[in-house]
Amino acid sequence: MSNFLFRKISEKEKKEIQKQAKEIVDNFSKQLEKVKSNFGESFTEIRDGQREEGEIKCSEIDREIFFENAPEKKGDFIVGERKEW
Amino acid sequence: MVNELKKYISEIEKNDKKGKKINALLQVAPIENSKKGLLSGKVIAVKANINVAELTASCGSKVLENYKSPYDASVIKKIKEEGGIILGMTNMDEFACGWSGETSAFGATRNPVNLDLVAGGSSSGSCASVAAGFCDMALGSDTGGSIRVPSSHCGVVGVKPTYGSVSRYGLIDMCMSFDQIGPIAKNVSDAVLLLSVISGKDDCDAISQESGKIDLKKIEETPKNLKIGLLDFPISDKRIQNLIDDKIKKASKKYKWKIEKVKIPYLELAIATYFPIVYVEFFSATRRFDGRRYGKKIEDVCGPEVLRRILGGNEITKAEHKGRYYNQALKVRALLQKEFEKVFRKFDCLISPVVPRLPHKIGEKISIQEMFQYDALTCVMNIVGNCAMSLPVGKIQGIPVGMQIACDKWKDELMLRIGRGIEKFK
Repeated sequence: MSNFLFRKISEKEKKEIQKQAKEIVDNFSKQLEKVKSNFGESFTEIRDGQREEGEIKCSEIDREIFFENAPEKKGDFIVGERKEW
Repeated sequence: MVNELKKYISEIEKNDKKGKKINALLQVAPIENSKKGLLSGKVIAVKANINVAELTASCGSKVLENYKSPYDASVIKKIKEEGGIILGMTNMDEFACGWSGETSAFGATRNPVNLDLVAGGSSSGSCASVAAGFCDMALGSDTGGSIRVPSSHCGVVGVKPTYGSVSRYGLIDMCMSFDQIGPIAKNVSDAVLLLSVISGKDDCDAISQESGKIDLKKIEETPKNLKIGLLDFPISDKRIQNLIDDKIKKASKKYKWKIEKVKIPYLELAIATYFPIVYVEFFSATRRFDGRRYGKKIEDVCGPEVLRRILGGNEITKAEHKGRYYNQALKVRALLQKEFEKVFRKFDCLISPVVPRLPHKIGEKISIQEMFQYDALTCVMNIVGNCAMSLPVGKIQGIPVGMQIACDKWKDELMLRIGRGIEKFK
């Protein structure tokens, strides 16, 4: 039992959350494995048949704001650390 | 500045960060609009996971607290074209991961009806803004009940449209196979108006489809001789079920609707089906929050609920499990879809409470299993992709209670006409 208010997580709590997440997933799995089903996976039916591939016009992305959001940049590039990707 | 907007700004200054300290809004930055259209003069608040150019789409998280949107989501573009005035961005559970509005990194949203209680989540700020009189309408997103649950607790109308009927282009996703943007308003007519503007096919969201024009005048015509299914599901708080039963019985008498109780197989497995899918898709969606292109690395600054979902998704997708957990969930999802197809071959509409319990106090200790129950009746509509709405139908101890009205896929107009019919009925 705990409250659900936002808080900074300690390393100890991170480990507890990891354990709890595994328990939750296992518990769901136990419930679902009792179901005997011959159905395959679900899917979403597209009513209009195939999607037409034409020119798609979405909202334009403001280049200036895009770069403004990057923590580190150099000219037209976003800078990332080496060998960490 | 139009008079309506002035009135709302004055109310926000009085009660959002001061006075009642509702904490519904994260950013107030009105975008005035002189265009003439269906939404002329209407003031609309936007959940902070929907991109509005130049405003902050923080998703209620420290990860994106300084993230300035470089573009408009398709729904925002449509609202602007119809003359709507964007008020600003609303508070929400962090990355929409929550049931109560408490997981926001910027503090919980208070319920305007009772300030000690949670507003419900994850669209907590959008629903609280409408309930508190900070705006005319709001946009929220609903992945498992995130529009309907806070609408029920705050006493406003909230609509989760049919999956694919409203474009999600520009929505910062939580779980793309369930996410849907929808309207929140003080009454059914305003919700219909906003939905009529934002719905429709959009090439920028591959899953979106043409949903058919909503006839605004037809909403006033209450359909007669319907067959209504009253969901048979164990509700621990009998007062909530009694309120729903009483309201639907009275409305059915007036409109000559036939009511029959309906039990849906596998419904008790909805939560166990929903969360593994959410965990996996959320884990995948959050891999882009690495702190390089924008914001901060998510695992470094997120709260407990977001981390639980990331770690749950990480566990499910481990190679050693060979997709077992995920496949189980997808199979039960297919079963539930088949069961709902059967239900809607027999019934025009399905009625239940939105939430099987009343909202808890802010900061109250509550188990994760109890928290899951908030979505017990709503998440199944996202699993099957149908439309569903929350309609305020009464109060218990002064706390609003919402009725969930659900219809088959693409029957949104019928659902809204039923909702309007019940709303009109005293």
